[in-house]
Amino acid sequence: MSFTGPIAASTVLLTAAVAAALTVVAYIIKMRRRRFEVPFSNLWQRVLEQRDANALWKQLKRWLSLLLLLFILGLVALAAFGPTLGDRDPRARSVVILLDASASMKAQDGDPARKGLTRMERAKERAKALIDAMGGGDLAMVVRVDGQATPMSRFDGDKPMLRKVVDGISASDTPADLPRALAAAADALRGRQNPLVVIVSDGAYSEQALGQVLWGEPPAEAAADAGAPTTIGGDGAGSAGSPTTGGDAPAADAVASADLARVDLRGLDVRYLGVGTRAENVGIVAFNVRRYIANKASYEVFIEVQNFGSEPARRQLALYNGETAIEVKPLELAPGQRVREIYRELPGGESTLRASLRPGEGPGADTSDPFPLDDQAWALLPARKKQSVLLVTRDNLYLEGAMLVYDNIEVYKATPAEYDADPARTIHNADTGRPFDAVVFDDHTPAVTPPSPVHLLYFNPAGEHSPFAIRGPVPRPRVTETADEHPVMRWVQLSDVNFDTASAFAADRARGDVVLARYVRDGIAVARREARRKIVAFGWSLAGTDLTLRVAFPLLLVNTLDWFAGDDADLVTTYTTGQRFHIPLDGLLDVREVTVVDPAGVTTPAPVVDSKATFYGRRVGLHQIIAYPPDQPAPPAGAPDLREPLAAFELAANLGSPTESSIAPAQDLVLGGRTLAAPESFPVSARRELWVYLVLAVLALLALEWVTYHRRITV
Amino acid sequence: MPRPAAAAQPRRAPPATSGAARAADRSGLFDERFLRTLEHLHLVSRKMFAGNLRAERRTRKVGSGIEFADHRTYARGDDFRYIDWNLYGRLDRLLLRLFEEEEDLHIYILVDCSDSMAIGTPPKLHYAMKVGAALSYVGLANLDRVAILPFSDRILGRLPPARGKNRIFRVFDFLRTVEIGGTTRVADAMKTFVSQHKRRGLAVLISDFYDPQGFEDGINTLRYNKFEPFVLQVYDLKEAAPELHGDLTLVDCETGEAREVTVSRALLEAYTREHERYCKQLEDFCTARAVPFFRTHTAIPFDELVLQIFRSGGFLR
Repeated sequence: MSFTGPIAASTVLLTAAVAAALTVVAYIIKMRRRRFEVPFSNLWQRVLEQRDANALWKQLKRWLSLLLLLFILGLVALAAFGPTLGDRDPRARSVVILLDASASMKAQDGDPARKGLTRMERAKERAKALIDAMGGGDLAMVVRVDGQATPMSRFDGDKPMLRKVVDGISASDTPADLPRALAAAADALRGRQNPLVVIVSDGAYSEQALGQVLWGEPPAEAAADAGAPTTIGGDGAGSAGSPTTGGDAPAADAVASADLARVDLRGLDVRYLGVGTRAENVGIVAFNVRRYIANKASYEVFIEVQNFGSEPARRQLALYNGETAIEVKPLELAPGQRVREIYRELPGGESTLRASLRPGEGPGADTSDPFPLDDQAWALLPARKKQSVLLVTRDNLYLEGAMLVYDNIEVYKATPAEYDADPARTIHNADTGRPFDAVVFDDHTPAVTPPSPVHLLYFNPAGEHSPFAIRGPVPRPRVTETADEHPVMRWVQLSDVNFDTASAFAADRARGDVVLARYVRDGIAVARREARRKIVAFGWSLAGTDLTLRVAFPLLLVNTLDWFAGDDADLVTTYTTGQRFHIPLDGLLDVREVTVVDPAGVTTPAPVVDSKATFYGRRVGLHQIIAYPPDQPAPPAGAPDLREPLAAFELAANLGSPTESSIAPAQDLVLGGRTLAAPESFPVSARRELWVYLVLAVLALLALEWVTYHRRITV
Repeated sequence: MPRPAAAAQPRRAPPATSGAARAADRSGLFDERFLRTLEHLHLVSRKMFAGNLRAERRTRKVGSGIEFADHRTYARGDDFRYIDWNLYGRLDRLLLRLFEEEEDLHIYILVDCSDSMAIGTPPKLHYAMKVGAALSYVGLANLDRVAILPFSDRILGRLPPARGKNRIFRVFDFLRTVEIGGTTRVADAMKTFVSQHKRRGLAVLISDFYDPQGFEDGINTLRYNKFEPFVLQVYDLKEAAPELHGDLTLVDCETGEAREVTVSRALLEAYTREHERYCKQLEDFCTARAVPFFRTHTAIPFDELVLQIFRSGGFLR
């Protein structure tokens, strides 16, 4: 008998020992029994005394019951080892099927005879044919290869199950990480009999990826320096080698590092099954947008388009702002030519930009493009316009002067008396008839505040109408701590500013309040994000501080108004798939997790690290990131999410990978200088597993135990 | 699935409030319908014993009645008027004629109100109270003096002897409000009873007789003190054949004693046999001593039981 189970023997033995101990303990510990009240226990006592004559038999039955359970447990443990009758067939193979699910596998040239068939669908057919050809003793594991290598099954000979696993794989929008997948396959096959790796792919990999393998022994000097090559590929695993000495040449270090990064395929039989027929493709490889620093109401767009085919191509490049086409330009692209287009001085408006490649017009234009994924690209432009700001102040020249330095706002002024006389009228811009974008209250706390979405900035709010509850005055405070990562406090230095007094606010973290500046434990500057507007309050009066004489003052105002406008200079909204996204959260400091909605509408949670939401970008298109208050737990799976979001952000993800857009299939894959052949047919092998019979025996014994227990035979 | 054998547990305090009757409201026990049933029973009893009953019942006490009872030898000081001169003429001996003294019969309804009577659906206690009230009504209507005495391990209360059927409402009120609870100790309760009641009479003992110390001493105490015991055993059908299975902790509702037991069909059958044997012991004991005995379960309507008692003649002669 041999054992082929996927679980390590020590693990099974340990688990079995713990389970046996628990079983024995369960027999020792008395069960909590149901209590039943009887009128006269003496009658029961008499009956039980008569039955006690059979106590020995009862004890024996009890022990037999325990032994039976332990026997059942032993059978389960034995089944976990995967026992087989006799040795494993020496011809049986262990196969890892690396199924390419990268973006290029979405190319619709799987089979020239079947129009629209993607490479992915063709690859799945070939993988299933490979599974069907396996012998009885062969075991296979399916690994999905995209930006990550994901084992989709364990080593198994169950063909229907493996076919089902293959059917469940779909192509993602990320490049493929072949070295990582090969390293995973090599690790999985270590110590297994007749190891075989089959790559089912279009072979569209970079030269660098194809060169990171090691078929034979490493050079002697490199091996001496770095030890044996690792089977762990990519991602800095190579740095785990032994440190070099000071006398080694840099060239030797480079060789050692290169070898460490290589995937050790010694002893492995690697085969290749290719899919795909066409190489023609024109795709967008870069798409970006930025605002002008001087004039934030306009922006410019950068687009890069490349012809990856071997024939000239004619395309139309269209740029959309929302659903409105703002530029359409014909492109003539020679084979391999890359074209850069820059659109300048575009006016603001919708924040979603889309670039689209369409077939060119005119005679001879090629209307087919087998790879549509890179024909679209998105970019997000944070909505921005010239803000109209109302100052409610009593002729504060410091404040008005500081406002003058900022070109992207239009400043209006009203006295507190005018505001209080008719707030509803005052908050409307007389020029436009629309409410102001932001209102600054200087030493005035009105009872009636402008409605959302008007942003509010307070200097020295007081009384019951203060937007933040006031705990009390703090005489002569100093700023001891600031929230430097908050957009309002960026580049602002307040530690040497003097105040005669300030109000200490009671920040409510449940409402999303963030303390911007503290004096020891007292928050003297606070910000809040409500659903559609933002509120900032500084607890000091501008008349009682030298802040107005510092550089920090106009900076603070500009930061605040920029934050109101949603304009963050550090905010990047366009990412490329196949990497981990780190999205800065605009001023949300206490949030530990956000919800990511991908372009397909799939919702996943993502952790927040250092105020940045972190998740792996798998899909091309617009993503939504929703942040909820940290004290409100997520609803259980399947339940509707009724929480009020603190904030929502959008980001665009594009393929942006010339390697993936270069979809030219490789009929023969050259890996590390070795051309991979197609897999040969599998030899017929047999395998007789016992675990099924053991499980059946366990079920039969459990049924016997159940019946005898409920028939009161073993009671 | 551990299944330990039955094991005795240390005795614990009895459950504070368990059983339906302890918590159940007794206010609706004696309603208008119940009263009509009693009146019906009374009429039936008069019809069954027409000519036999004279609304009174003589005691065995010999005294100044009009019905001859016996002779005894004349002693100095006896009333000359009762000397049987005919016998003197024939036997030349002075013998005195004795007559049965007529006096009201005292009926003592002794209702077991211990915790074990609170078990059952309906609770045995309710059933016992209804039967006790019905017998009281018949007694009161026959101009007997009827007293109600609930007991457990002591006499829990006392409704003094009274007669006349209009007193039945006092009986109802008393039974509704009487204190209940405690363990069954028939012997202790009967000793207290006989020491407090010198007027002999019929002692109707209504109980489940689940007395750990045995029922014999209690009944004998009544007999030895010249009371006429009338034994009525009440039980619940589910006590005789409980529907239990599996691993249980059986708790005695009176003593709180707990026993862990795994109930199987064989055990249930053995228990049923033991219960029947216990009841048979009680019946044999009473029969051997000419003590009228009735056994009933709570599923039998109480009026049917009372009619059965009338027919047997144990209660009314």
